[in-house]
Amino acid sequence: MADAVIDVRGLVTTLGGNSIHRDLDLSVARGEVVALIGGSGSGKSVLLREIIGLLKPQAGRIELFGQSVLDCTPEQMNQLRQRFGVLFQDGALFSSMNVEDNVATPLFEHTDLPHATCRQLARLKLALAGLPPDAAKKRPSELSGGMRKRVALARALALDPELLFLDEPTSGLDPTSARAFDALIRLLADSLGLTVFLVTHDLDTLFSIIDRVIVLSDGRVLGSGTVAELKTIDDPWLRDYFAARVSKGEPNHGN
Amino acid sequence: MTEASARFDEAQGALIVSGVWHADAASALPKLAGKSVRILDGAGVTRLDTNGAWLLLAAARPQAGDPMPELRGFQPQHLAMFKLVAPHNAATAAEPEPRSEGVLALTGRGSIAVWGHVVGLLDFVGRLSIELMALLPRPGRWRWREFGAQVRAVFVGAIPIVIGMLFLLGVVFAYLLGSQAQQYGANIFVVDGLLLAILREISPVIVAVLVAGRSGAAITAQLGTMKVTEEIDAIATLGLSPLAVLAIPRILALLLALPLLVFIGDIAGMAGGMLVTQQQLDISYYMFMDRVADVLDLKTLLVGLGKAPVFAIFIALIACRMGLTVSRDARSVGAHTTSTVVQSLVAIIILNAIFAIMFVKMGI
Repeated sequence: MADAVIDVRGLVTTLGGNSIHRDLDLSVARGEVVALIGGSGSGKSVLLREIIGLLKPQAGRIELFGQSVLDCTPEQMNQLRQRFGVLFQDGALFSSMNVEDNVATPLFEHTDLPHATCRQLARLKLALAGLPPDAAKKRPSELSGGMRKRVALARALALDPELLFLDEPTSGLDPTSARAFDALIRLLADSLGLTVFLVTHDLDTLFSIIDRVIVLSDGRVLGSGTVAELKTIDDPWLRDYFAARVSKGEPNHGN
Repeated sequence: MTEASARFDEAQGALIVSGVWHADAASALPKLAGKSVRILDGAGVTRLDTNGAWLLLAAARPQAGDPMPELRGFQPQHLAMFKLVAPHNAATAAEPEPRSEGVLALTGRGSIAVWGHVVGLLDFVGRLSIELMALLPRPGRWRWREFGAQVRAVFVGAIPIVIGMLFLLGVVFAYLLGSQAQQYGANIFVVDGLLLAILREISPVIVAVLVAGRSGAAITAQLGTMKVTEEIDAIATLGLSPLAVLAIPRILALLLALPLLVFIGDIAGMAGGMLVTQQQLDISYYMFMDRVADVLDLKTLLVGLGKAPVFAIFIALIACRMGLTVSRDARSVGAHTTSTVVQSLVAIIILNAIFAIMFVKMGI
């Protein structure tokens, strides 16, 4: 695919003797908002860590923006890292800095801008992530879980990346905050033209903001498509997964 | 990709920009001091992100209240960036650099912090006493297993380093004393000096400093991390007292371990001195032991060993209190661990001075 932002081919991963991925292929086109789902232990987080270059698979090819992640030099990898942002599951904010400096850190490191300007840009990102101005001077430990996620999102967006990775963006948030965070991600994806690749367990996220869902099962991609298309796949895990939402009494099963 | 470029058209008051505008494009902006930008012309812009849009807007209206410039020639997706950024003008306004504090302010803050530690320690002792009173009539609720594990960590693990340090200090001290005593032919009195110095001062203080750095820091770091991961809250929720489960076994373990370590240090220090006096001053091991038997006062040994439990209680109280008062972030664990070691060392030195004066007044 010519305009694939993420392209994974023939990925094989074995961790501690367990086979995680067997000949896994997937690709994500520019501008898509894609969710990766799968049961616990299906290797979603491992896949995410491999794509962003934190883990090395045993075999296969991973390309970001047409450049191979596995055999690029450290300098090339650093260039590549400036083109994507990552939101870790628990935010992974630096506890020794205030919120503003957390968001400004990528700008301090990767641009020649004066520090005062970096902080102003950081406050712009915090405002885009929907945080009130008085949050900028607080420490991460003084914030609620939902606000920490928003700060982490602002930091991921600091360098205006083209691609955003989100690891379980709504986990640990109450339903209201989770939906608001979903809406924010979709809004930013549309207005900034972002490609978003997220790992999630949250069915409501899937039904609300996702263009395409990729299902990981048994070390391979079981299927990919809209939620409606996935419901036609005959797989026990997938059936239970969608059934969970039906049993919650949500209106989304064709009353 | 084309580089970002910008020029200012004086006649129109227009800033004409082209190329790729992101965070690093700021250096392409011309000096605009005192000029008012009425128009932003972006017909040549190929890419624009929010950082670039903000930089252009900030250049066009340096004060928050300045009017929005007319945007001309931008492509629709670039106009969208401006629409996203423009409302947050006030939130991102430049702010004055925070003023750094003078010596006086820092001294004041430091004094308040020291006072806070004193009050905090007293409060901690109070709560611990209540806990102890509740535990005393019920020996079944003592945490013997935890106590055993702590003794192992604090005592057994420290033996090699205590022996090594005190042996070498004995060597150095005997050598210095010997080189002086030799001039007066007072070789045998080196043994008297060694006994007094090692047993009374060097061994208790050095071992206490070592334990403060080794075990005090470990206790604070461990309890602090347990606080961060909510383990302490979990203990409290199970109806157990974190003080009884965590603090008291550690305090008792240190109370037992420090005198024992000081005694081991005494022996190691004397062994080091014995080696040097034999080599340097021709005092045989037999003569050395004979002299020790002659001059060793039980009082000297007990003074040294008696200081150890006092040091131990202070180290353990400080370490446990600092560990349990960590706030929930990694920075705080580091700060509190440092503070434990500093507070313990200060406490050891002050206590030792108090002991010295006290013993002189009492004629011991």
